[in-house]
Amino acid sequence: MKRIRIANLPLMVALTIAGLFVLFPLGSATEFSFRTPVSGGHGLANYVWFFTAPDFGHYLWISFILAVSAAGILLVLLVPTAVWLNLGGHKVRPFVEFITLLPLVIPVVALAIGAQTSLPDFAQTNEFVLAFMYAVLALPYAYRTLDTGLKAVPLRTITEAARGLGAGWFRTIVQVVTPVIRSTVLASLFMTLALSLGEFTLTSLLHWDTFTTWVTTMSQSNILGAIALSVFSLVAVFVLLLGIGAFVRPVSNQAAAEED
Amino acid sequence: MNSATLTLSGVTRRFKDVYALNNLDLTVGAGELVALLGPSGCGKTTALRIIAGLDRADEGQVLVRGESIDKLPAHKRNMGMVFQSYSLFPNLNAEENVAFGLRMRGASKAQRRDRAHELLNLVGLDHHAKRFTHQLSGGQQQRVALARALAFEPDLLLLDEPLSALDAKVRANLRDEIRALQIKTGTTTIFVTHDQEEAMSMSDRVAVMNGGKIAQIAEPDVLYHTPANEFVAGFVGQMNRIPAQISGSKARVLESDVDAKFDWETQPAEAVALVRPEAIEVTPAPNGNATVVARAFLGPMSKVMLQTTQGFSFDASMTSDQSASLHSGDSVNVSIKPGQYLVVPA
Ligand SMILES: Nc1ncnc2c1ncn2[C@@H]1O[C@H](COP(=O)(O)OP(=O)(O)O)[C@@H](O)[C@H]1O
Ligand SMILES: [Mg+2]
Repeated sequence: MKRIRIANLPLMVALTIAGLFVLFPLGSATEFSFRTPVSGGHGLANYVWFFTAPDFGHYLWISFILAVSAAGILLVLLVPTAVWLNLGGHKVRPFVEFITLLPLVIPVVALAIGAQTSLPDFAQTNEFVLAFMYAVLALPYAYRTLDTGLKAVPLRTITEAARGLGAGWFRTIVQVVTPVIRSTVLASLFMTLALSLGEFTLTSLLHWDTFTTWVTTMSQSNILGAIALSVFSLVAVFVLLLGIGAFVRPVSNQAAAEED
Repeated sequence: MNSATLTLSGVTRRFKDVYALNNLDLTVGAGELVALLGPSGCGKTTALRIIAGLDRADEGQVLVRGESIDKLPAHKRNMGMVFQSYSLFPNLNAEENVAFGLRMRGASKAQRRDRAHELLNLVGLDHHAKRFTHQLSGGQQQRVALARALAFEPDLLLLDEPLSALDAKVRANLRDEIRALQIKTGTTTIFVTHDQEEAMSMSDRVAVMNGGKIAQIAEPDVLYHTPANEFVAGFVGQMNRIPAQISGSKARVLESDVDAKFDWETQPAEAVALVRPEAIEVTPAPNGNATVVARAFLGPMSKVMLQTTQGFSFDASMTSDQSASLHSGDSVNVSIKPGQYLVVPA
């Protein structure tokens, strides 16, 4: 055990207060979601209610697939772009940064109307178009996470070192660049997943149904059930992210620090 | 000199209208350590990157043992490189970093491990083999980088200011270690630096660069005592600039005539003699041509600041024993030791 230093005290206090601020409502909501008004006790009734609802699995799956697709789209688009920008001082960087900021500036409503008026029919009638929309919405966050992470490693020097040591371009990318940027890419993936799973406005404006819109519809008929659903969504997203995090863990922190 | 391991001939590299390298020629013999010394922006890094294959020359050739390697990509050149900034792979520990070059060459796991430990031992870091970059100090990281560059027995070791990010004490230690290691392994080495003391103290030969060209390449003592031109003279060691009057093939400096050894076309009216502080002879004399301004004690040597009766100042360097009898305000006679000067146009 490390000694707790006095200097850390304000930090601990702040963390505790912040923790309480988050955990207290969460705890209350959780407790509330287990109540059974008829018997006055606690039980799983509210959870059973939505779990057994006919469309529960269907919409959960749709949301999951859309989120994963959005993350996949951004991965393919952003990783090569960000790596390339960080390998050389390219003149296009300001332009790319401007593009990635656009989704923050354009209102979601404008995006929705744009999609409805200018997308071809096959895209209007296919739910998969949402994956691309989510990718657009998550773009600013995903790009910034990626770029900040990549700037923290001297990618250019490292790749040049690898080539000097005998690695061709392919091996440099697979054996050096990929492991080095993995945790950063992962962080940016999380961002996209979390944003996509919780997206409501655009989905609803475009009249599609996903888990979030389904939850909203369901809540209107059963307030305790709605709270149970929210608690479930929170836990589910948390478990999902945790799972991916454990699945691909950054390597550089595995070594135990030895003493001199 | 041994057979040439590396030859650059007429290498030119332009960035838009800037000549980073301008028709550069360089020959490095087997087992030799040559320093590329020059001010920032003179093209040292560019030269090294072209040798390593990380950049391409616009004109000219790079030869290794007489064969052109211009078409060879960086990863096939078998050159070990150490960069100015830290370049270890952050996802690998020290041992894996050192073994990387061998892994690329298909060495077995056991071979890799043995060789990595051998090299980490050489740089004194075997006990840190399992550490990652963020668990090593700057000096340790550069040691690992050096071990990594030497592990696969490169034809050429290329060092681009490997010490410039380190503090003075670590720098001095590591400088000597690099030289010892280089001699021990017999690796032909190019060492890039802007620090003249570093270059002079560890090289077989020093190439002083200026504006994308080599101003002079010679052994450190030759460079010091017979600089080819004013740039080299000013860049290497301390130099006094003393006014000189030209008359015929002679120059009059400090009231004595010296051979001007002109190598310029038209004879200038005004000239200066470039003289090292230790090439100035100082003898106490009641009505001498200069006075002592001050004396600075520097251990075994002392610096004596002087002013001539005409009013220009310069420094002399001598052993502290010799300077003991000199005090501020003393009148002295100063002259230049024979042959130890360079007369150039003012
Ligand atoms: N990639 C580049 N793009 C444009 N100019 C460059 C580039 N690399 C080097 N230069 C220019 O070439 C000259 C030599 O640079 P460099 O070789 O890095 O010098 P040194 O290592 O001696 O400080 C400098 O004027 C520098 O600005
Ligand atoms: Mg440089």
